[in-house]
Amino acid sequence: MKTTVIGAYPKISDEHQDLRRALHRHDRGELEADGLAAVLDESTRWAIGELDWAGIDVINDGQVRWDDMLAPFARAWNGCDRGPLERFYDNNTYFRQPVITGPITTQGTTLVRDFEFARREARGELKAAVCGPLTFATLAEDSHYRSLEDRTLAVADAIAAEIRGLGKAGATLVDVEEPALVAHPEHFALARAAIERLAAAGVPLALQTYFFPADPLLDALAAFPVAQIGIDVRSRETHVLEKLNTVRQTVVLGIVDARNTRVETETELVGLIETALKRIPADYLWLAPTTGLEYLPHDVAVQKLKALVGAVHAIGGVKA
Amino acid sequence: MSDQILLTTTVGSFGKPEYLQKARNANARGKLGGPELNELERKATEEWIRRQERLDLDILVDGEMYRGDMVAYFAERLEGFRIGGLVRSYGNRYYHKPIIASKVARPKPMTVDWFRFTQSLTDRPVKGMLTGPYTMLDWSYNEAYKTRRDAALALAEVVRQEAEDLQAAGARYIQIDEPAIHARPEEIDIAIEAMGVVTQNLDAKTISHICYGDFAAIYPKVLELPVDQLDLAMANYEYRWLELFDKNPFTKELAIGIVDVHSHETETVATAAEGIRKGLRYVSKERLLPHPDCGLKTRTVEESEEKCRVVVEATKVVRKELARQAAPA
Repeated sequence: MKTTVIGAYPKISDEHQDLRRALHRHDRGELEADGLAAVLDESTRWAIGELDWAGIDVINDGQVRWDDMLAPFARAWNGCDRGPLERFYDNNTYFRQPVITGPITTQGTTLVRDFEFARREARGELKAAVCGPLTFATLAEDSHYRSLEDRTLAVADAIAAEIRGLGKAGATLVDVEEPALVAHPEHFALARAAIERLAAAGVPLALQTYFFPADPLLDALAAFPVAQIGIDVRSRETHVLEKLNTVRQTVVLGIVDARNTRVETETELVGLIETALKRIPADYLWLAPTTGLEYLPHDVAVQKLKALVGAVHAIGGVKA
Repeated sequence: MSDQILLTTTVGSFGKPEYLQKARNANARGKLGGPELNELERKATEEWIRRQERLDLDILVDGEMYRGDMVAYFAERLEGFRIGGLVRSYGNRYYHKPIIASKVARPKPMTVDWFRFTQSLTDRPVKGMLTGPYTMLDWSYNEAYKTRRDAALALAEVVRQEAEDLQAAGARYIQIDEPAIHARPEEIDIAIEAMGVVTQNLDAKTISHICYGDFAAIYPKVLELPVDQLDLAMANYEYRWLELFDKNPFTKELAIGIVDVHSHETETVATAAEGIRKGLRYVSKERLLPHPDCGLKTRTVEESEEKCRVVVEATKVVRKELARQAAPA
């Protein structure tokens, strides 16, 4: 059993607001791009330090540079602009809708520099992350591709290129954040075809689903060519815990609710872990927050990390 | 009132004048007292009432000069809420997301004094403006109630008390906004049930504003929301929601958004008038109310004013057309 995190970490805290101030100054033309980049690096270092310090076994870089999950890609790719603000699923959090205006192409190096920086900063294991192709394709506006299928597969090819770039930079595990898969289970065949293109990049993948129950897809997920499947067991009512044995990959179980401030008790979390362990061996179980901790204020995010690590220690998890 | 057809209105908030923004910042830093801030809020409110009269809007609002966030304003005044740390909403924008920490209760009215003050400034009707129970729930963290339905119904009870007090104070229009109603389409029954608690004893005209989300996912079920009027963003969506009314006719009054609020530029009068004509294909002139898509608090005073001016001018153009059509040959 290992602990990990998914998605974005809070970019600021009550005490640490350098990035917020720097972005304001940058907007007003008082801070050059270089100055902002230095603050972004410093904030990334801070987030990585917090995740390391909390005792999380496999961390990410906190996605400090990501305005939203689609932003780094919509910014970098040819054939793609950033459009109006839209609500991100059932959150009071907004993203800029990507607008696809032509064929999507990329050099595949969008995330490389940031990954290399984070790897130098991280004490332990670091994983990378990309936006899931179905998620990007279902949230984008498109005036170029003719169908959801064409769009999803084109996005998948671009993301596969990014994963290849990450692999060359030394990434050994990449989260594919794909809430659309559980939001729209009817598209699972298309999602699988897209993930197959990502898997061809040759880097182990963790398919992270969240916000919605994975129940209707549990059998289908076993056939996805990924090393890990992330499942959120807190956001909505679900019975997946009783059926986890159908999953063949390592399960990344989202047991700490990253969208509610109530901090789970150790008993509650230990109970969930024990239920999971009745169905799958400990070697195949990782524990995580349900989604990015950025949905919480920083002080609560820290408490959630503590609760997660505490519960795994209580049950005798093997430290990496 | 302009012949009771195509009555113009707005969604609720307007841009705050610079002196008020500075005063709010100073107040947040502890450098300006509450009474001094309140004085400036009243001044800005009165200025907005005069502007709305000058613009010739029919149904007025107080402009929410005294509010920041539409959920936090109420959360700060209700028992049971705690204000949490900063959370990002998008880009570099952060807000203090409220936490429902224990059972909610309303120690005293929250908006009634503002309503009384604003209505005393004008002969035109002023809307009472509230945030709906489902949105209050969805935009807060719920630690206190076992289910989301339990929380929504508890919030509905405090919103009901406020709405009834507004009515007793003379409000003829009460708007209970539910912009989060489509956040979880599968919970629309909860939103409908909660709104039923709020409006059950009201004789005033009831309105609910809905924006920024997948309206198609809750239509036509949303017609069961127990209010007289739905207030919808349309210009930002190129009026695509109107097509839904082909299959399932719209049965309420429709306040129709005819200018986008998230751009600095405003549509031309001709474009906005075309939006009203589109609406008239589905809703009669007596039941159609032109307005901007959403609240204007993210705009400057001048931009807010310009958007309202276009709404009123476009409405006058269409009213004239309708009068010509109605005139005997």
